[in-house]
Amino acid sequence: MKTGANIGRTRSRSSTSFASFAVGVASVGALVLLWEVVGRREGSALSAVMPPPSVFLADVAETQFHIGLGSNAPTVYQCVVSTLLRVFAGMALSLVAALITGALLSLSRTARWILTPLVNLLAPIAPIAWIPIALVLFGINNKAAVFVVFMGVYFVLTLATLAEIRRVPPQYLKVAENLGTSAWQRWLFVVMPAVLPGVFTLMRVNFMAAWMSVLVAEMVGLRDGVGAVLMMGRNLFNSNLIMFGMLLIGGCGFIIDKVLALVQHRLLWWRT
Amino acid sequence: MESPLLQATDLTVAYDDAPGAPAAIEGIDLKITAGDSVCIIGPSGCGKTTLLKAFGGFLPVARGGVLYRGRELLQPSRDLVMIFQEHNLYPWLTVEGNIGFGPRRLGIRKAERQRRVDELLRIVGLESARRRYPHQLSGGMRQRVAIARALATQPAALLLDEPFTALDVTLRRRMQLFLRDLWSRTRTTMLMVTHDIEEAILVGQRVVRMGGVPGAPAGIVETIDTSSPALKDRFSDEFRRLQAQLEKQMERETPEENAAPEPTAAATVEPALLSSAT
Repeated sequence: MKTGANIGRTRSRSSTSFASFAVGVASVGALVLLWEVVGRREGSALSAVMPPPSVFLADVAETQFHIGLGSNAPTVYQCVVSTLLRVFAGMALSLVAALITGALLSLSRTARWILTPLVNLLAPIAPIAWIPIALVLFGINNKAAVFVVFMGVYFVLTLATLAEIRRVPPQYLKVAENLGTSAWQRWLFVVMPAVLPGVFTLMRVNFMAAWMSVLVAEMVGLRDGVGAVLMMGRNLFNSNLIMFGMLLIGGCGFIIDKVLALVQHRLLWWRT
Repeated sequence: MESPLLQATDLTVAYDDAPGAPAAIEGIDLKITAGDSVCIIGPSGCGKTTLLKAFGGFLPVARGGVLYRGRELLQPSRDLVMIFQEHNLYPWLTVEGNIGFGPRRLGIRKAERQRRVDELLRIVGLESARRRYPHQLSGGMRQRVAIARALATQPAALLLDEPFTALDVTLRRRMQLFLRDLWSRTRTTMLMVTHDIEEAILVGQRVVRMGGVPGAPAGIVETIDTSSPALKDRFSDEFRRLQAQLEKQMERETPEENAAPEPTAAATVEPALLSSAT
């Protein structure tokens, strides 16, 4: 039952949340407006380098949202989907692999002694640094982009998984054992749910690194993808396309982060 | 005569394996028959929890042992479910999910599982909270869910380690009545450790008082039959007399003098999982 105090608290929370949303929209709107005003002035140097939204959006709309030249030019939609698939494939693979490796490291002291220094050594390497190796190993294709995302996230997530497993309250395991569960059941139904929120939070934090690395991978040769939009703009000296590419990168990154936050809030909300 | 469900014979638990290491409890003889409700009381550090853990198979014994249905108990069994001071409910599961956790992992069919969960929800009075998560429950509700979860696997006995310590006085009294009522309805064997004399007399059909001479390992001092209906009313003269008598006896045993530290974590039988990680 909702009490008066509860209703008051809910109202206050929702009004705060609305206020924060409104202020955010207003600040972005003000920036766009300023950009439009300055960019549309006669002889403005800014408009040549950073054409205002009304100009570059109209230009891209004219090409019916096709990026590049010729009938085979991919659409904006195809570019966004390609990038998202690469990012999510890399992140999903790294999450699964990190959970398995983290479990292995926590179970076997020998594995921990052998692999932990290696993981610690590789974790600080920026995802972008893996691009040359990816290109040599896989050539210019999807696999290379997925590999870069994977390598950028996997080692950090493995360390996070190991730390989260160590944080699982031993009483949870004692209770599960006392209720007759087997060792693998305790892993699957106690340890995994207990560590997932923490690992997912770190994955979300590392998403930005993965996002940037896949864009760089796309910029070095892939035909489609959001990064390729930017590269196409550079090659064609088309500042409208460059600005549109930047808008896509920022917009998609923002939306994905919000989606991940929503997943965390709705599905992985608990703390152990 | 009915054969005991649990029987401790010359039960001695030491702090560590080293020869000559001091014992936490020594020479305990105690029989628990099926359907029994026994409360263990005693001054702090006298080895109450050690005894309970030994009855659950959680501790290695130095001498003697515990028999469960006539067989030596060497490790925790799912027939003897322990309930701790903390509820330890899984925060990612609802009330229903927590109660059904054990039966589900044991492969019990869905219909039977649901029947058990429904029945236990009714018994613990949480039917309306079945879809709530632990953080949405009060302390007393959480502890009732923990008890229902323990009962869901239909254990032979519940081992309760000061389960109501974290609750306030009012809630604690309610939970004492709840536990007594639960025992009357289910006749599940219960062995409960408490430092609260009133709680022990109200809940238990027998009260086992532990203690000992200062400097020596603790043992059982006396066993009192508390099954009389007069002792189930906290305002009756019999109740108050027994309570005062036990309080006086326990006050005489200074905790500092006969305190026996609990065995270290390393001495307990930890779940196999993660043991190598620590």
